Parts: sequence; C-alpha cells; structure tokens
Amino acid sequence: MSVVDAAQVAARPKRPAPSRFLIVGLLIAAAITVWAAWEIEFSLAELFSHFANGWVVVERFLHPNWSYLDRAGTAWVETVSIAIVASFFGVLVGLIMAYFASTVTNRSSAGYRFTKWFLSVLRSLPDVAYVLIFVALVGVGTLAGTLALFIFNIGIAAKLTSETIDAVDPGPLEAADAAGLGTLSRARWAVQPQILPNFLSYALYVFELNIRASVVIGYAGGGGIGYLIQVQFARFNYENVSALVISMFLVVLIIDQLSQYFRRRVS
Amino acid sequence: MSSTDTTVTAQARPQEPGKWRITIGSTVLVALVAGGAYFSNADWHKLPDVFTEGWRYFYLMIRGVLQNPFSEPYSEYWLQAINGMLESISMAWIGTMIGAVLSVPLGFLAARNVTPNWVVQIVRVFLNIIRTIPELIFAIILLLPIFGFGANAGALALGIGAVGTLGKLTAEALEGTDPGPVEAARAAGAPGSAILRWSLWSQVLPEVIAFWLYRFEINIRASAILGVIGAGGVGSVLGQAFRYREWDFIGILLFTIVVVTVLVDTVSGAVRHRIIAGGGAHSENKVEREALAV
Repeated sequence: MSVVDAAQVAARPKRPAPSRFLIVGLLIAAAITVWAAWEIEFSLAELFSHFANGWVVVERFLHPNWSYLDRAGTAWVETVSIAIVASFFGVLVGLIMAYFASTVTNRSSAGYRFTKWFLSVLRSLPDVAYVLIFVALVGVGTLAGTLALFIFNIGIAAKLTSETIDAVDPGPLEAADAAGLGTLSRARWAVQPQILPNFLSYALYVFELNIRASVVIGYAGGGGIGYLIQVQFARFNYENVSALVISMFLVVLIIDQLSQYFRRRVS
Repeated sequence: MSSTDTTVTAQARPQEPGKWRITIGSTVLVALVAGGAYFSNADWHKLPDVFTEGWRYFYLMIRGVLQNPFSEPYSEYWLQAINGMLESISMAWIGTMIGAVLSVPLGFLAARNVTPNWVVQIVRVFLNIIRTIPELIFAIILLLPIFGFGANAGALALGIGAVGTLGKLTAEALEGTDPGPVEAARAAGAPGSAILRWSLWSQVLPEVIAFWLYRFEINIRASAILGVIGAGGVGSVLGQAFRYREWDFIGILLFTIVVVTVLVDTVSGAVRHRIIAGGGAHSENKVEREALAV
C-alpha cells in the first residue's frame, strides 16, 4: 500500500509547457517594441538634460492668470453650443444608421454589410482629420468644428446603438413578426422602446466626449475654447493657457457629473 | 348580459400614460439645440459650401488615390504617407507600453479588494484627473518644453494619457475577480506578493492585455491628433498637406490612415478575442465604450 502512496506523491502533475501562442505573441510584441522605439528615437534623456529649460515653462503654468478667464466666457459658450448641436444631430443620424447596421432591423444583408463597412471607415479617421477637411471647405470657425464633431458622433453613436440593437430581447420582435408588422414599424415598436434608455445614455456620453474633444477641435481651427488655447500658446502666454486648462478641467468635471446624473435617471 | 360584458372589457383598456414628461423634455431639448445653433456663432450661410466645394475636393482626393502610385509625384506622396503612418503606429505602441507599465501598480492600488480604502480614494482621484485631461494638454504643457517637438514627446503624452483609463480598467477587473483563489492561497500560507501574482494577476491578465490592445487601437487615432501640433507621425504630414491644399496628397494620406487603421483594428481585435475567448466576454462592451473616449 505504502508503495502506491509514494507513487501518488510522485505523481504531482508536470508544469505545462507555455503555449506556443504565448511565446510567439511575446516575441512579436518585443520585436514591435524595439522597432517602434527605434523609429521614434525614444529616449528619456531630455528629462534630465533639458529639465531646467522645461521647468521655466512649467513654473509659469503653475501661476495661472485668473483674470484672463473673463475673456474666455464667450469661447466656452461656443464650445458648449458646438457640442450640443453636433451631439443632437450626430446621434439622431447615428440612430438611423444603427438600424441599418444591425441584422435585427435590417433585412437586407448587402445593405447591412455596406453600412458596417461605411461606419468603420467613418470611425477610422480621427476627429482632427474631419476638422481639417471642414476648415478647408467652410473656413476656420465654429461651423467647421460643429460639422467635424457631427460626422465623428455619427460613427460612435451608430456603433454603440447598433450593438444594443443586436442584443434586444427577441420576444417583442417575434410578436411583431407574428402580427405582420413591416420593417419600419417593427423597428419602431419592437426595437426602439427597448433601446431608448441606452440610446439616451449614449447621447449624453457623446456630448461628454465632444466637450473633451474641444481642445483638439479648436487647435485644428474649429473654434471654441481650443482655439483660444492655441492662440495663447502660440503667443507664449503660458499663464493664460494654464488658467484656460484649469477652467477646461472644471467644466469637463461638471459636465461629466451632470451627464452621469442624467444617465442614471434614464437607464 | 353578454352585451354589457363586452362593453365593460372594452372600457377597461388601460389609459395611456401621460406624456407631459416627454413634452417638457423635448421642448427643453429643442430650445437647447436652437440656442446652441445661435450661440455657437457658426457661419451657417456657409453650409452649402460643403456640398458645392465638397464634391470637387472629393473628386480631387479620389483622383490622387487612383493615380499610378509609381509615377512622380505620387510615389513620393505614398512614401511619405506610409512613413508617417509607421511613425504614428510606433508612437501609439510605445505610448501604450508606457501606459501599460505604469497602470499595473496603479491599478492594484486603486482596487478596493486589494488596497486599503484611503489609498484607493487617492489613487482614483489621480486616475480621474488624468482621464479628464486630453493627451493634447499633456503634450503642450508638460512635454514640448522639455522634449521639444517630435514623436518622442507624442509617445510620452499618449503614455501618460493611457495611464488613466488603463489604471481604472485594471482596478475594475481586479475588483471583479473571484475571491476563491485568494482565500485558497491565504489558507495555504502564501505571502502577500504571491497572492497578488498567482491569485489576482492570473485572473485578470487576459482582460488586462485586451485593454492594452484596445488602448493601442485608440492611440493610433490619438497620435494623429498629436501630430497636428507637431508631434510627428502622419498627423504632421496631414497638417502640412492641408496647409498647401494638396488635395491629391490629402486623399492618399486619408486613404492610408483608413486602410492601416482598419487593418490594425482587425488584427488587434482578433488577438483580443483569441486572448479572452470564453470568459471575459462580458467586459468587452465596457472596454469598447471606454475606448471610444479618445
């Protein structure tokens, strides 16, 4: 008996060999890292060698010029206005696109695939590219920013909403089919009530994103608070930039809180 | 009798709920949008230009893409576009690596089931602050004065920006772990470090790697944004092309960005699904949402 016991003790399972997927993955990751670091000439040396130069600037950032904020009021109204208009129309078009981008509501498989493809192209361009395009079309100003965010929002709202549509409860759909509803009324009465709370939450989320994106939008010529930051930065008025950035931080925080409150209410 | 019965059931149809909330809500919304359209100071009369000018430029862009890519000056354009894109991808990758390395300890410190509550609160506030500030601000405030213009500064800005989201997601993944393995390790007398490594880290590793890959996908888009302020990559090239209104070059650049981004998204998405195949699928939607917050 004791021999059997000893055999059982010795039978401790061997440590499994690491999976080939893991090894290959790690090697690829390491290779990409080395190549990427070489490509961008990655180094932290400047942190030590140029720290004194940089610190002069950082020190000016630590003394924000609060009085400049008096003039930032209009820019903030512009930024929030851009975000409201672009979010409203963006999520509206996004909702319609979402119905086309889900097999639940779109019975045509070619149409579904085309919409999916179109949306992924739409989302693959960064917001700044849209700003540059619209600045070229309608000139520097808030219109360019609004249009850019509008297009950008369609992509996000459509993606999030179409995924929600994919996951709706099939019960109402079967009921609608059994009652012989057409594609449109089926989407309106069997799908829309189910996705509405989520959709409203996405709309608020898109609005938050638009406020956050305002720096980028303005920097590229889309107007609003970002434009002001860009102008002040180009003039080396770091104290003013610092005050603007802090105001930006506060506004984003307030809007996030408000939007989270409403999101809890609707869902 | 039967006639009264039917009238009773006919009357018993429930009353439609009041619509005053929807009415008020939509009125406020319309007022907000109208106010927004007015206060944005947008030159709405220029809106038709989008359609009149847009087609012309779109045609020029398409023409640029369709030209023989080996003829002058298009070969030069394609070369610049691909080099810019490679630089952007490198920035995104290094940024993700920096973010990943820094976010792991912060993620553990921000998880309620790992760290005492007061530490969690402080670290969460710190992560939230980072999450609120766009990468662009990090780049212009902290990095340009020290690192100057270039891809290196861009990669660092992306790295700092990534810490906020990755740290938060790692902490949430840790809080969602099964407490069983922790109890087992503790019962077997494992030291704290072993519990972190073998009970907690093993459980969240697939999910965390999926977060990193997702962050890489976002960083590719974000690196284009940083490029416009001079942090290198395809964004810088794009900014220059727009300055000179070289529409055929712009077309080639946008085409390259779209193709490479979709390609990287597809590969990275496939790897992510392979990594978290089976378990962890529940967190996918959360990650994707978080990730859209470029």
